[in-house]
Amino acid sequence: MSERLIVIGGGGAGTAAATIANRVNPDLHVTVFSEFPDIAYSPCGIPYAHGREIPEFKDLFLSTVQRYVDDGLDMRMETTVTDIDLDRRTVTARNAHEGFDKLIMCTGFVWEQPDVPGANLEGLHYVKDIRRAMEFDKELDAMKRAVVIGGMWLGVEMSGALARRGLQVDFIDDGPWLLSELVDPDVAEPAREALEKLGVNVRTGTRLLGFEGSGGRVRAVSTSAGELECDVAVICLHKLPNTKLAQEIGLKLGTIGAVVVDDHMRTSAPGVWAAGDVIEVPHGLSMLPIAGLTGSHAYAQGRVAGANAAGKDMAYDPVWIPWGFMAGDYTIGGFSIGETLAEAMGIPYVLAKGFGVSRARYFPGAARTHVKLLAEPGTLRLIGGQLHGGEGIKERCDFLAFVAKRGATLEDLAWMENIYSPPIGALFEPIQIAAQNGLAEHARTRANIPVPA
Amino acid sequence: MILRELQQRLRARSEYALRLAAMNDVGRRYPSSVSKPALPRVGVFWRWVFVPLFRRVPWSFKQQAMRTFKMTAAGWPADARRFGEPWRAPARPQPQPHEQVAEKASNSGR
Repeated sequence: MSERLIVIGGGGAGTAAATIANRVNPDLHVTVFSEFPDIAYSPCGIPYAHGREIPEFKDLFLSTVQRYVDDGLDMRMETTVTDIDLDRRTVTARNAHEGFDKLIMCTGFVWEQPDVPGANLEGLHYVKDIRRAMEFDKELDAMKRAVVIGGMWLGVEMSGALARRGLQVDFIDDGPWLLSELVDPDVAEPAREALEKLGVNVRTGTRLLGFEGSGGRVRAVSTSAGELECDVAVICLHKLPNTKLAQEIGLKLGTIGAVVVDDHMRTSAPGVWAAGDVIEVPHGLSMLPIAGLTGSHAYAQGRVAGANAAGKDMAYDPVWIPWGFMAGDYTIGGFSIGETLAEAMGIPYVLAKGFGVSRARYFPGAARTHVKLLAEPGTLRLIGGQLHGGEGIKERCDFLAFVAKRGATLEDLAWMENIYSPPIGALFEPIQIAAQNGLAEHARTRANIPVPA
Repeated sequence: MILRELQQRLRARSEYALRLAAMNDVGRRYPSSVSKPALPRVGVFWRWVFVPLFRRVPWSFKQQAMRTFKMTAAGWPADARRFGEPWRAPARPQPQPHEQVAEKASNSGR
């Protein structure tokens, strides 16, 4: 009789885990439990469907449940697992017990909810489930004003999208600059300008005090800068690991409250793996555990968990976190750490800054690309960076995260080869320029730079 | 359980205090891009004792301390491509028996 693998969660990590386990070991009976009716859609595309940059929500669906069934997976949609018994190796869903030999927990995240008066009113919207987003999209037609709360990337994307949709948008964030938990002020500034160009009223240094209601529905957001009228408040605070089931079965949680896994995505319980937003993984520079990364991280972790549950021996590396997103028409991105985080962690660094163009400067569409790199004093090994500009930011951040992981130095980057082809690349690569500026500055000030202990 | 909660609390508070202090310092370098934050303040101990002390300690010592107090990730090989080590190909495990079966099935057009 074949072994049975149960995957809890139908998001990126869960679908990847189930698909890969099934592919690695076709004899394995793989069952996926998901509380939602849909699978394999892109939640990250939701803001862009609201902003009509993606014409229809159906474009966000990449596959169907039937396709997974046809591939041999046992799909249990709209079925919430309410209990797990590790001793008996059973899960409970819809009051029925189902046995398993191996288990992968991909229970994802829940949004942090504001701890202020009025947080239970109607009209507070959280971006997650696509069905709810589709209903919300219809409601948007009758709305005029929105307040977006929270200084995370999703808040920036939603602000831009709702402004494109024609709503009057106030974006509030209690930090001193846009996305201050992630982004340095010099990189946040052009992003703020891009949002303001779209008509978003960006209010940094503004604290949420509560929600004012009328007839049980939000009518205004009370802030340290006064009351902001609205038809809807979109809440974009932190992603928190959804560890309810994991805690109930006693899985070990780490220093940020997410499930602890090793490099094979094994949890503290034998025969139980976990992946995605419910787990913490180490940052490649500090080895400090972090959580709530991107969809591509969740998918890759799911692949590792699925392959290992099916009998393979795959390891996942500590992360260097390339990231990036659009603020209006502008792109910002980075990898590992920026100046603010380096200062906070007390990591010594030297800066290398510069800018170039994304194509030959005479070619239509050429955009300025700003690069800021952080390197370890002494060795000049790359430890972080932030970029902003037009096209090509994403690819540069991916590249930089990879070469940082492999130990590249400013010297390596200053003399890197690059493509010169007028429509797609300039003679001088902006990364090269930044690294060369950094080396020149380093040579000028070498005597004053402390070497790390 | 208590140790885990203490670790979580210690990490959350220390990170928050360090982040606020860093925002303050980095913000001064870019004054035109910064507003006065409305973030909740931290206690006197964290701002005026912990942050200055933390900043005086060399990074290598801080790393060692974080390892000692089990604040870093466990179960991850410390020597897996250490920082700055030249690139090397990931180890390729030997195919398992069921993979060979799967490969045959795949080759037979299944």
